[in-house]
Amino acid sequence: MDIITAKNITRTFGTGHLTQTVLKDVSVNVKQGEFLAIMGKSGAGKSTLMYQLSVLDEPTSGEIFIDGINVVSLDKEAATTFRLNTLGYVFQDYALVPDLSAEENVMLPLLMRGNTWEAARELAKKAIDDVGLAGKYPNLPAQLSGGEQQRVAIARALAGKPKILFADEPTANLDSISGQAIIELITSLNQDYGQTVVMVTHEREYAESANRIIQMEDGQIVGEEKLR
Amino acid sequence: MRTIRIGFLLGWRQIQRANIWTTTLIIFVMMLTFLNLIAVSGILVGLIAGAEKAVREDSLGDLIISAKDDEDRILETETIIRQLEAFPEITAFSVRHQGSGVLEANYKERRDLRGERDIANVRVSGIDPIKEEAMTGLSADVIEGEFLDPNEEGYILIGALYTEEYASNFGDVFETVSNIKPGSTVRLTSGQVSKEFIVKGILQSKVDEVSLNTYIPEREFRRLFDRFDRNADQIVMRLAKPEDNARIKEILIANNIDDLAKIQTYEEGKPKFITDIKNTFNILGTFIGSIGIVVASITISIIIFINALSRRRQIGILKAIGIDRRAIEFAYILQAAFYALLGSALGVLLTYGFLIGFFERNPINFPFSDGILVAEPVGTAWRFLSLFLITLIAGFLPASLIVRQNTLNSILGRNK
Repeated sequence: MDIITAKNITRTFGTGHLTQTVLKDVSVNVKQGEFLAIMGKSGAGKSTLMYQLSVLDEPTSGEIFIDGINVVSLDKEAATTFRLNTLGYVFQDYALVPDLSAEENVMLPLLMRGNTWEAARELAKKAIDDVGLAGKYPNLPAQLSGGEQQRVAIARALAGKPKILFADEPTANLDSISGQAIIELITSLNQDYGQTVVMVTHEREYAESANRIIQMEDGQIVGEEKLR
Repeated sequence: MRTIRIGFLLGWRQIQRANIWTTTLIIFVMMLTFLNLIAVSGILVGLIAGAEKAVREDSLGDLIISAKDDEDRILETETIIRQLEAFPEITAFSVRHQGSGVLEANYKERRDLRGERDIANVRVSGIDPIKEEAMTGLSADVIEGEFLDPNEEGYILIGALYTEEYASNFGDVFETVSNIKPGSTVRLTSGQVSKEFIVKGILQSKVDEVSLNTYIPEREFRRLFDRFDRNADQIVMRLAKPEDNARIKEILIANNIDDLAKIQTYEEGKPKFITDIKNTFNILGTFIGSIGIVVASITISIIIFINALSRRRQIGILKAIGIDRRAIEFAYILQAAFYALLGSALGVLLTYGFLIGFFERNPINFPFSDGILVAEPVGTAWRFLSLFLITLIAGFLPASLIVRQNTLNSILGRNK
């Protein structure tokens, strides 16, 4: 069953003769429980595609259905609520709030979902334990290594049990050992818990952990590879 | 509710982790702004309040009895005095007979009888020196010579502004006589009656009713002004509890004293221009202080704007993970509120804990009053509230400007 269905997405920037089309009539489906990797060179449009699929940007034309909902028609407030309840994000540079402890960073979306302080704290601790950082709850991001920060970001993304986890070059700022560990964590989430994952990466080695790789070039999908 | 809770978490942690010196500086600016708002109008009003206080202490007292509008003098003054003596709430009172006369000096040295006489039109008060002293402590205003002795006759106290030496600072505003010293002989004339007096002392006060007055014993006044009915022009009273003056006035009215004279509390009897100037200064002070609020609100806006702008990407990511923009805006409003509250609280502490007492002990020496700092709690509360609200708006607007930007643009650092 497809959890994401994107049909004929086009994304254009600028107006008049300065118009630049970054995505050209792209269609893609993602099955529930699938781990999809989007690959391509810089400027190929892979991140732009992910932003459309993850409701962070709105396509110039085309339709996107996530879990049966046409997300293109959502207004800003509804899109924010949809992201909160349905999606999880891991960004390239961890994107933690520097003033909050690891535990509080993870608690944020849980509190926003309406959990009590105590419940959010318990869930946050469990999520931090799950990514292998037990005991690091009170640490500020600055007191954690890059790999640990990315783990906290993954814990934040997963604590609310999202239907889809989007990861935008999650290993880009990490050394190879930490990068490998993060990919293993994401893979295990997919394999052990059936977490749907959409990951953008430019490293073939990490993309091979996915079930399927789509290759992008010049705003179009130019290849697809089913790995398992 | 969850929005406020998350906003509080974000905002409070930002305050906690902020640079201590930056936070101190912002709070200091807020404190100065608040003080500016309080002090500018407070000192302007304090100038007049100082004058008002001096008039009450040195001249009018807490309750004033004067002639009814259709009478020249207080009727049956002695009956009224007997009644006043029976009131335990009245700690002191002075009966004043008032008139105007011509004061002449240096007439003995004048050789040319066709030449200009050294004269001044003066106000004359006939008093009981003991009662006046108990009422206003007039002897404290004697800057040269001595106070009137109730057992002596033929002596006069002259207000400094009737003497050339002291009034020269004010130019030619006042009519004066020259070369007046204690021991000098002067002549006081009312109508066709003249009497020679020896100057006992020179009086100087910031209250014109003292510095522009001459005092002679009551019995000599009656002889000079041909006032043998003993009816006075003014009776001023000091009460054990000055704030009770309205209540005592009602009691005096209940005793039918208002059939014989007009009874006024100090507030009713004080010169109207004092109230008018006070109100004008208050408006002026508030206006000048408001400029300070504008400056502070701009400062807060810039601080919050830079803070939010430097966290633009973080704000974008918070929105991306589903945090309501109102929670993020609340975080910045909380910071602005924190700066305003702490700065104002310090300002209040400094005003009421130190400045008011300091100016009370060391009043500013103005020519017409001893300026104090006036900060009425109600006025302070309004200023506090206005500063607080304006600061909240100043915090909200720039934060909102950043928070409302497109989420993805914020994350990617794009301008469009």
